[in-house]
Amino acid sequence: MRQEATGFARETGQGRPPGRAGWLLLAPLVVWAFAFVVAPAAIMLVYSFAQRGTLGGVVLDFTFENYRGVVDPVYLQIVIRSIVYAGLTTAICLAAGYPVAYLIGRAEQRWRNLLLMAVMVPFWTSFLIRTYAWVTILKSEGLLNSLLIQLQLIGAPLELLYTPGAVVLGLVYTFLPFMILPIYSSVEKLDGALIEAALDLGAGPLRAFSRVIVPLTSPGIAAGVLLVFVPSLGIYAVNDILGGGRVDMIGNIIENQIKGNARNWPFGAALGTTLLVSFAIIYFYVNRRQRAALVR
Amino acid sequence: MTRIASVLLAALVGGLAPLAPASAEELNLFAWSEYVPQSVLDGFTKESGIRVNYETYASNEEMLAKLLSGAANYDLVQPSEYTVEAMVKEKLLLPLDHAKLSNLKNIGKEYYGQAHDPKLAYSVPYMQGTVGIAINTEKVKEPVTGYADFFQPKYKGRLVVLDDALEIVTWALASQGLGPDAVTKANLEKVRPILATWLPLVKVYDSDSPKTALLNGDVDMGMVWSGEAAILIQEQGKKFAYVLPKEGAHMFIDSLAIPKGAENVPGAHKFIDYVLRADVGRKISEEFPYTNPNLEARKLLTPEERANAASYPSGNPKLQTFRDIGTVAADVDKLFTDMKAKSGG
Repeated sequence: MRQEATGFARETGQGRPPGRAGWLLLAPLVVWAFAFVVAPAAIMLVYSFAQRGTLGGVVLDFTFENYRGVVDPVYLQIVIRSIVYAGLTTAICLAAGYPVAYLIGRAEQRWRNLLLMAVMVPFWTSFLIRTYAWVTILKSEGLLNSLLIQLQLIGAPLELLYTPGAVVLGLVYTFLPFMILPIYSSVEKLDGALIEAALDLGAGPLRAFSRVIVPLTSPGIAAGVLLVFVPSLGIYAVNDILGGGRVDMIGNIIENQIKGNARNWPFGAALGTTLLVSFAIIYFYVNRRQRAALVR
Repeated sequence: MTRIASVLLAALVGGLAPLAPASAEELNLFAWSEYVPQSVLDGFTKESGIRVNYETYASNEEMLAKLLSGAANYDLVQPSEYTVEAMVKEKLLLPLDHAKLSNLKNIGKEYYGQAHDPKLAYSVPYMQGTVGIAINTEKVKEPVTGYADFFQPKYKGRLVVLDDALEIVTWALASQGLGPDAVTKANLEKVRPILATWLPLVKVYDSDSPKTALLNGDVDMGMVWSGEAAILIQEQGKKFAYVLPKEGAHMFIDSLAIPKGAENVPGAHKFIDYVLRADVGRKISEEFPYTNPNLEARKLLTPEERANAASYPSGNPKLQTFRDIGTVAADVDKLFTDMKAKSGG
């Protein structure tokens, strides 16, 4: 009965244009989306087909040159590296974040908020300060090396800072909560009876996990993967601070076109547009698979 | 729909406006981060009644980007010599009225006749510096006198350099006996194999605070701004030394200039003249120990400050300023990006 009622409401609600009151309520969102999403993206798109001015800026003369630059081997190697780093970060976040999210989601109610809080607390400090804190931990004469030397586990300090490993560590540290929170919200809605049913019907814990728990929490997994992969692909501060500027990613290249020597805004815009379009494609792909999975 | 948008915008703008009192005279200063002491800003406000809004940038290009976008109006900017040249070419700077700069006489003669602005018609030197080698003498025992000594395989992983494509390319040119005015597409190809051997040796690229890696003990030598090295020497003079590469080093001159569109041109002149005062110049040197172009201010420095080899190098080093290289800049950046990516990391 209830099922039918909501189905009815959805059918009549959908497709009907919002009335005046609806538009009024929507207005802030529409204005926001237009001013901060549509307009900047449109400017970026236009710039990406323009030519560079001498001092920076753009000359509105149509050209495809900037997109030829995107597939230039010099920049392509950096695009590929960025994808590898972002992929690695996402994989580690998923492996480390899933168990945490699962435990929090299945924990007793009174513990849940406390545990969630523990995940959120680092956000109360500036992201840059937290990243610089890692410098203090990882540097040659830093906390970690001092500890290991004190414990006589190593003789000489390890080279930890300014390495690709430090960059991935920093990325995982930064984005882990973005993986935990959406998975948590999926786990929280998980019906325990279904797991019990799977176990009763002879599935082992592994099988129950892979055939029941994972599919049911897949919306959270998909959201988490997107929330981690997309920003870690474009970030540039972590690799500057923890990578010693050696590990350039796409974000650094874009930054150089605007704030660095190059002064080539249109090329920066072309790189930005390419990223945006790729993200959109990934998003729609993940979304479609998600829907297909739900139907099945 | 548009009406709603404009009402919302008006509400936003209206809500922000009362924050700025309209009565007090204001000066919008757009300058390098960590370059203008707060005490100098406060002192100026106290004497002139003009409130200074100090906004900062981390590269000449960042300054140009904001200026060109027209998003904000600035009364004073602080470009380096090659950017002054480019801005004068593009008519982005207003000529200075020397009659209003009574303290301009304090600037040393050597700062006139420089290629970017020989008569200081558009820019007044604020601070001058060099790019040279900071050495941790406890770790590096052999003498290091130039780029060839610095970029040696035995120092692999022990070097910090500026994260600046143009700087690094000019070092490679200097090692071939070419000056910074030789940045051309043809010469960039000559430089490519040199960068291929140099860049794999570098541990850290850092333009903002290259002294940090040296202080932390993560590297033993650095190609750094002289002011950064001067601070190292101030703090641990026995441990650190500063050497200007014998092949030739970059001398930069950061100047104060008034951009086109400035709203408070008289105030900007007042600020420049205030900074040119001996006692004010002295205060700037205290916090940012670059080479002070103000000879009267130099007289007020302590003997220790004058003896700091990074601020006031002895002898007759070979120094050259950068010139505006126009659109070749994009090729410089591409070469550096490529060689950096190929050097592993």
